[in-house]
Amino acid sequence: MLWKPHHLIRHRTSFDFLGKRKIALILSTAINVLSLVGVFVLGLNFGIDFEGGIAIQVRAKQGDIHLEQLRSTVGNLGLGEVSLQEFGDSRSALIRVQRQEGNAQCVVHADQVMKRRAGPGWAVKPGPANSGDIEFTAPGALDPVGWRDAVSRVGLTIQERQLPRGATNTAKIDMTLEQRAEWCQQVAIKVVEDAISGQYELRGTESVGPKIGDELMHSGIWAVIATLAAIAIYVWVRFEWQFGVGALIALLHDVISTIGLFVVFHLDFSLTALAALMTIAGYSINDTVVIFDRVRENMRRYKKMGLIELLNFSINETLARTLMTSGTVFVAVLALVLFGGPVLYSFSIAMLWGVIVGTYSSIWIASATLVYLNLRPEQIRGKEDEAAAKAKA
Amino acid sequence: MLNLPRWQVIGIIAVTLLAALFALPNLLPGSVLDKLPGWYQQSRINLGLDLRGGAHFLLEADLRSVLNERLTNLSDSVRGELRKQQVGFKDVTVQSGASVTVVLREEAQRAKAIEGIRSLDPSLQVSGVGDTIQLAFSNVDLVRKKKEVIDQSIEILRRRVDETGTIEPTIVRQGDDRILLQVPGIKDTTDLKRKINQTAKLTFHLVNEDVAQTGQNIPPTLPPTTFLAPTREGMQALRAANPKAYEDILSANPRLTPEQVCRRYQPPCLPVFKRVVVGGEDLDDAKATFDQQQGSRPIISFTFNSAGGRAFCAATRANIGKRLAIQLDNEIISAPVVQSAICGGSGIITGQFTTQQTQEQALLLRSGALPATLSIIEERTVGADLGADAIRAGTVAAVVGTALVILFMLFVYGPVFGGFASIAMMVNMLLVFAGMSLLGASLTLPGIAGLVLTVGMSVDSNVLIYERVREEKANGRSPFSALATGYERALTAVIDSNLTALIAGVLLFGMGSGPIKGFATSLTLGLLTHLFTATVFTRMLLAVWVRWRRPTELPV
Repeated sequence: MLWKPHHLIRHRTSFDFLGKRKIALILSTAINVLSLVGVFVLGLNFGIDFEGGIAIQVRAKQGDIHLEQLRSTVGNLGLGEVSLQEFGDSRSALIRVQRQEGNAQCVVHADQVMKRRAGPGWAVKPGPANSGDIEFTAPGALDPVGWRDAVSRVGLTIQERQLPRGATNTAKIDMTLEQRAEWCQQVAIKVVEDAISGQYELRGTESVGPKIGDELMHSGIWAVIATLAAIAIYVWVRFEWQFGVGALIALLHDVISTIGLFVVFHLDFSLTALAALMTIAGYSINDTVVIFDRVRENMRRYKKMGLIELLNFSINETLARTLMTSGTVFVAVLALVLFGGPVLYSFSIAMLWGVIVGTYSSIWIASATLVYLNLRPEQIRGKEDEAAAKAKA
Repeated sequence: MLNLPRWQVIGIIAVTLLAALFALPNLLPGSVLDKLPGWYQQSRINLGLDLRGGAHFLLEADLRSVLNERLTNLSDSVRGELRKQQVGFKDVTVQSGASVTVVLREEAQRAKAIEGIRSLDPSLQVSGVGDTIQLAFSNVDLVRKKKEVIDQSIEILRRRVDETGTIEPTIVRQGDDRILLQVPGIKDTTDLKRKINQTAKLTFHLVNEDVAQTGQNIPPTLPPTTFLAPTREGMQALRAANPKAYEDILSANPRLTPEQVCRRYQPPCLPVFKRVVVGGEDLDDAKATFDQQQGSRPIISFTFNSAGGRAFCAATRANIGKRLAIQLDNEIISAPVVQSAICGGSGIITGQFTTQQTQEQALLLRSGALPATLSIIEERTVGADLGADAIRAGTVAAVVGTALVILFMLFVYGPVFGGFASIAMMVNMLLVFAGMSLLGASLTLPGIAGLVLTVGMSVDSNVLIYERVREEKANGRSPFSALATGYERALTAVIDSNLTALIAGVLLFGMGSGPIKGFATSLTLGLLTHLFTATVFTRMLLAVWVRWRRPTELPV
């Protein structure tokens, strides 16, 4: 019946949540340890955002995509490790190629691309070892305008000064090794494009050079740590230090087990995954704060109650709220999982899991930590009485 | 708490209506929008590149090479200066990326040498020990130059990528040495790279004074060494007098040569030698300054690198009294008379200039060549059809998500309270849209995900309040008091939960690039506006409802 409110759970529940804290503790420790072991043993399926490399979304021009055939075509291009997955529907796939180092192999690829795209008279050769220099040879003499068009064909951006003056048929482009490594990602895209563009339509391409990849990884890790720390400090300031530690442990639990989810399901760990981790942290703390808020309120109200009894009572009192708030976000995220499309898939799955695990950790992990930290209700009451006395005086 | 003063109610409604007003242009069809005032039209959310299709480049400028080049030039001028001062030196070497070291023959001449070097550029940091002198650019100078290099690169990129002025690329500085270039609507990046690599069209030519002396603007015949090129002023006059002709010249395919333009449209032209004295790629710097000697007239000073300096020196020495034409994009921007041989790499252009003119000319001179190599360190392109797919998926997810949340709220809290929560959530969405429109923020696919999350989270506050009201009701309070206390007691939890989520949102915004920034924007904005809808708007709905219905039983 829609027109009458429904109570999803009965009004006064009295589950003994903390009585089962040992089971929760063992379960959570196991999940977290396995997650960490998984990260080190199986490894995360890093997207190109962090590892660098190229990613290309393709769609078969006719019929379904043949993943195996495509895998062997791209795998035999000599670009290193290649991974493929169906993306969205049976006609589309995502091709990922590992980060290209700026080595001689990349110049050989550039040479092939140039010959295919500009004509057999063209050649690209590496300069002296230890430098990133490359040398272009044209079938005839070219002026700077011609050279600029030529180098653009292999995705190179140059400064005027790097080109020869006057009309020549060779151009030595001086580059550092780092600059060449960045450029080699562009070459790899052209190589893949040449190999598959007959049968497949390239719908979107991405390339991330080695430099950005490393930077994003660093700033990402720091952003997650900063988020966890900032939230824990907030809780510590609002409550007591024990609450801050409880919140932090619950958050770590959520974040680590979400990373575990990425390992188990081989989900793409990219920038959006990081965004999911931070959002989960920011969101899962909500339930925890609601429970902590009630715990503190009840500490003042029921002066004689023991800690475990008090925690159980507070969790039960707020249970409907905890489940409802998670429920609303759960249905919203569910829509993202079902309809959000392949790009958001990893993000949405992580969020869905994060909502569930966040609720669980608010109930069991955060409050159980308070028990293990020997939070003494009298301590807090004592402090507050003091404060009240001071305020009166 | 449920007695709301009238002015507050009016204020809340006004904010809501204003938000609706600013969110509205996003929904109006283009034909209606065109009839509305310009400022109002602009209140729209831009679609990110992942939704509308286009190319995103992150370019890194090679500032180290720029610095090394400057140090090499500095070492050249130090050598010249020391020779002029007759100070003997063993060696002048460049320490890559840091400084120039001078080793003198005699320690005694150090003071004289330092004085000479200081006169080159007073801002240099000079220190001397024994027979050795170290010189480096000051930090202020380095920072200024860095900024200049990036600004100039941005300006040049804009000229090259958006020749026609219709592409509307986004070109902004990012961090210290990077430039973000976003071009909507293109898929073929080879063409874009060709544009980035476009020819430096700045060249210096000597004027053929023999032809010029005849006084004819367009001589019927020319020696084979010479061609005609229109002056910039001439072209601007033509543009004013005959916009159609100017348009034709720009859109001609293949492009007209300068001589064809002269013969066909007869603007003021100059006969110049085909031989290029020196090209823009050798021009290091050009800036608008003031002539110290002659009563601070505005002038333009320029510096060449060593190759350009030598060529320029030879050409000016042999052609004193003749004019040297500077051609940019097939127009002669200026043709100053050579007063004396200009050697040592730098010179000035004088004339009857205003400050504004010298600044413009200096900018034109600088726009010939990129000041630094720009490497592509990140590239993302999205085809328009892929973008359309993403929009479709995002819209369906958002609509279904919103519908599910509304159904859920109606089911659990009934039509009145569930309805209020849904209205508050919709108003929150309206506020987010208005905020994003006003900020001119971009909506990306992760941004849509952020909106969907906001939908789920923004009813949370209503849940917190309603559940508390249910508790208070069960504790035997009257409807009115249950509402009031429930609301009051839930408020701290509402604010707490929003603040913690905001912490994550702000940090995400700080680290985010591109699409993630879109997610952080919509999420953060959603949480902020949500503070308004949760605390003030919902309260107003409840207050008005209670006053109107005077319920004896709360339907929650």
